[in-house]
Amino acid sequence: LDHGSALHTAAKDCLSSVSSQDVPAERPRAIFHTSESDPAKHTEHHEGRLYNIPLEEVKAVFPHGLPHRFQQQIQTFNEARVMVRKPALELFAYLRSSNFSHPAVRYVIYGERGTGKTMTLCHVVHYCSRQGWLVLHVPDAHLWVKNCKELLQSSYNRDRLDQPLQASVWLKNFKTSNERFLQEIKTQKKYTWGKRESTEEGRPLGEVVEQGLARVRSASDAMGVVLRELRQQCHRGSFRLLVAVDGVNALWGRTTLRKEDKSPVSPEELTLVHNLRKMVRNDWSGGAIVTTLSQTGSLFKPSSAYTPQELLGKEGFDALDPFVPIPVPNYSPREFESCYGYYLERKWLQHEKAHTEDGKAELQFLSGSNPRQLDRLAGPL
Amino acid sequence: MAAPSAAGLGRRLRAWLPRMVQVRWSRYSPSYLEPEAKKELYEKPLEELTEEEKEKMELKAVQPIKAAPPTLSSSVFNDPMISKFTNMMMKSGNKVLARSLMAQTLEAIKRKQLEKYHKAPENEKETIECNPYVIFHQALKNCQPIIGLSNITKGGKTYQVPVPLKDNRKRFLAMKWLITECRENKHRRTLMPEKLSQELLLAFNNEGPIIKRKHVLHKMAEANRAYAHFRWW
Repeated sequence: LDHGSALHTAAKDCLSSVSSQDVPAERPRAIFHTSESDPAKHTEHHEGRLYNIPLEEVKAVFPHGLPHRFQQQIQTFNEARVMVRKPALELFAYLRSSNFSHPAVRYVIYGERGTGKTMTLCHVVHYCSRQGWLVLHVPDAHLWVKNCKELLQSSYNRDRLDQPLQASVWLKNFKTSNERFLQEIKTQKKYTWGKRESTEEGRPLGEVVEQGLARVRSASDAMGVVLRELRQQCHRGSFRLLVAVDGVNALWGRTTLRKEDKSPVSPEELTLVHNLRKMVRNDWSGGAIVTTLSQTGSLFKPSSAYTPQELLGKEGFDALDPFVPIPVPNYSPREFESCYGYYLERKWLQHEKAHTEDGKAELQFLSGSNPRQLDRLAGPL
Repeated sequence: MAAPSAAGLGRRLRAWLPRMVQVRWSRYSPSYLEPEAKKELYEKPLEELTEEEKEKMELKAVQPIKAAPPTLSSSVFNDPMISKFTNMMMKSGNKVLARSLMAQTLEAIKRKQLEKYHKAPENEKETIECNPYVIFHQALKNCQPIIGLSNITKGGKTYQVPVPLKDNRKRFLAMKWLITECRENKHRRTLMPEKLSQELLLAFNNEGPIIKRKHVLHKMAEANRAYAHFRWW
């Protein structure tokens, strides 16, 4: 295996510690793989390596949330390999040492375009689901503030607008990922959905979700109820709650939606956004809030903006303040070697020149070690 | 860089014997040298250069050099056939779009072949070609006609005369047929990369509408064999 000197020196000190775990039962995997598929056991020794998530687990934990290109990659390679990187390991350390009787700490993952913020969030979601937390994963908050075909006036509050389609899609995916919790958690209040439909106190939360899926008109309200119940019951300690929001800057920006009289809709007037804002406040305890900033889907933000101040604006920053910022940089030389070696091993880089040193140097230069650029460049090669 | 003067042109026109008249001309004067994109030539140390290479390097220090065209690249992944194909796909100068379509096509071919590769049993794995460049080149080669037809007017009537084709013309016809096929004979909602990758894979296996068109051309040439003697070149 020729992966350059950088990996060889790193490999020497890693090999001794890792070889005890990576006992090759089948043929020995390459140096950039690790057989440790439990994120809880990932340490700095695993940094820069790729770990495998079994495909059934991918379907259960990530019904939504993985980037589109990664999903295509899973289908082509027939496996889901995620790289272990420093920001994720940092987050694991914080989550392990957090005190759950204190209010929930907010973590904001930020970085330039294509550096791996969404993948870091997915790694954290996988870790928390393996630990048995209840994961509230919002795959992209930007989808709730743009391109909505149906906007209904909310029956609960006259001023607000409902989004039945988005809410029902989210409820369906929430149900897939958190089946067992929905039977255990019980409602604490009676909820009336209409003239003849209501959910009594003490019924499992699964019924609220079913109600939202069956009656699409009340899906947004069902989602609000779910969020409220989870927030109120989390401090008891029977379950831990992880709120994972991708593209949290959508909650405080502008929308491209319009009401029937063509007046613009501001985010507070949307039920989903209103409820999610309450969720992201740190007035509840017993879990953590991990969010990602995203310029890619954002509205009315320049493409060079990536810092929290720029993307959240004054309102969002004040709402999220205080938070723990976690920057995600481009690939380090070791991570780049790892990614390049993985593409070679999976036969993704088919061009003859891509196997040479010149080709590798050119890829590194053209992509600037940016994960997304490297993926886009390696596509046609 | 001065244009040929009117007097010189007139002199040439007056005494017109079968000499060559300049048709294509360049704005550059003859002293301008071509730009060199290959990195290897610059990385060689002084001792390894031969006499003529040393002279060329000295000349480059003094003589002006033409501007590099946008197609000239020092990348190791540069392929002239792919560049030519991309240029032919381009519409109204939108090279960015044409290039991204080409990249998506190559990626689509690679994905389809890799999926087939991973699902195939061990003994068949070597037969499946996954390199999109190899598939592209082989498909174009399979689409190239050997013989073409040319319109020759004799005695007031125009005949379709079978004629040998030059290499450039063969390559051009293959690429042109591929592009027109992918633009016209597809569903309104299919995207170009999808259709192109499909056609390239079919042509790689010697199937598909473009190979059929090539065969039709060959049959027409065979049918018009009688007029072959009309050709005078």
